[in-house]
Amino acid sequence: MTFHLRFWLNGQEVRTEVEPDETLLWVLRERLNMTGTKVGCEAGDCGACTVLLDGRPVTSCLLLAPKAHGRHVVTIEGLGSPAKLHPLQQAFITYGALQCGFCGPGMLLSAAALLTQNPHPTEREVREAIAGNLCRCTGYQKIVQAILAVSRGEVP
Amino acid sequence: MKKRGRGVAWMFYPIGFTAYANPSAAFVKVNQDGSAVVWTGATDVGQGSTTALAQIAADALGIPVELVTMVTSDTLQTPMDIGSVASRVTYIAGNAIVRACEMAKQILFEVASEELGIGPEGLESRNGWIFVRDFPERRVRLAEIARKAEVVKGRPVIGAGSYNPPTTFLDPETGHGKPYNTYVYAAQVAEVEVDTETGEVKVLRIAAVHDCGRAINPLLVEGQIEGGVAMGLGYALSEEMVLQEGRVLNTKLADYLVPTSLDVPPIDVEIVEVPDPTGPFGAKGIGEPSLLPTAPAIVNAIYDAVGVRIRELPATPERILMALREKEKEQPGRSVRDREDGRPEK
Repeated sequence: MTFHLRFWLNGQEVRTEVEPDETLLWVLRERLNMTGTKVGCEAGDCGACTVLLDGRPVTSCLLLAPKAHGRHVVTIEGLGSPAKLHPLQQAFITYGALQCGFCGPGMLLSAAALLTQNPHPTEREVREAIAGNLCRCTGYQKIVQAILAVSRGEVP
Repeated sequence: MKKRGRGVAWMFYPIGFTAYANPSAAFVKVNQDGSAVVWTGATDVGQGSTTALAQIAADALGIPVELVTMVTSDTLQTPMDIGSVASRVTYIAGNAIVRACEMAKQILFEVASEELGIGPEGLESRNGWIFVRDFPERRVRLAEIARKAEVVKGRPVIGAGSYNPPTTFLDPETGHGKPYNTYVYAAQVAEVEVDTETGEVKVLRIAAVHDCGRAINPLLVEGQIEGGVAMGLGYALSEEMVLQEGRVLNTKLADYLVPTSLDVPPIDVEIVEVPDPTGPFGAKGIGEPSLLPTAPAIVNAIYDAVGVRIRELPATPERILMALREKEKEQPGRSVRDREDGRPEK
């Protein structure tokens, strides 16, 4: 039994047939070739697969694809473009907030959701917003600094 | 009751393999437009070595870093590097690249010496210019010389270099020898808060002061130190692989606990630059050393806070509570919980 999935991906309507037990993560990567969303633990612990569902960060590895039906999904491909980076992406580069980069897509989307909801967060609020996104490289400090810089409008 | 304490730990750490050969090699080509391509086997897994090595190549050739293209980690194309291990890439691959650049620069200087009327030994290059060391206003564009070398003189501007740190094995009789060519040094201080009811430890702040020789790219060095501290914090407090009959029981990130953004405290990083004459532009290394002092500093801070020595990591709440109970048994009536000033009995 296939499910006729229709949703908005980065602002564009997408229609695809999926198995009802497929996760959004694998639909994005395998059916739609959007590989910016990373496969980490596939248990909802690491946050590498984070996407925005109607503006809220969700772990796409735990979300059955049919649950996205009729809703808006934003992946890292929709946050900025190489020609026009999102301010958070530019700040992550300037502050050296990425090393291996694997946590980056999820980290950036969690940060983007935070700043949409709360444009002027405290450091504590930033740390809470990204607490579901594990980073093994940076110690989080430069990530937190980069997000706070964007919130203060200090993006270079 | 919550009690605070501070602990310090020092370390020194060697750069490169222990006595065994661990070479790196590099090729470089200077193009007619003054740009350059560097081939190195050194692998960037996110630490930023490709950036630092490009900076080293740029300074060694005397061209802007924007004009350096790096080709890395391709066993078909690049010469060998033994790996991103032993905190060795900046030091060893960097030295190989400097040597390759020196060879290419020798060709440039020999060709430029005709134009500038002085032997190659009297020349220097910087920012795309070759100039007479004692009369910098006498200069010629490096790109012009590269073109002339290749097109007129038939001498393509290429270089190859390798480096393997000079070491010896330890003498089995005396234990003496020189297993490494250089070392780095560091100190870290941790401030913790220990909850004597639950055994939980919260790290409030860490100061990390590291020598890495010359910091080729201070932002990347800071990133290495901050990441190392976070890893050392996990080693100290939460990360434990539980084995039962050879099987790992906690294979999920839900039960093997890597520090989150809420666990890692603000980290004060200070880089102490002591250029090493054997390193590329004085650089040594920073990868692994960054995490070594963290766990001992935290465990020392726990001792300072509540007077118990944790000798098995991670220092979980269970282990700390057990140690506090042992201490109470040994010193009945002198429980750390009863003391008002928060200072432990020692």
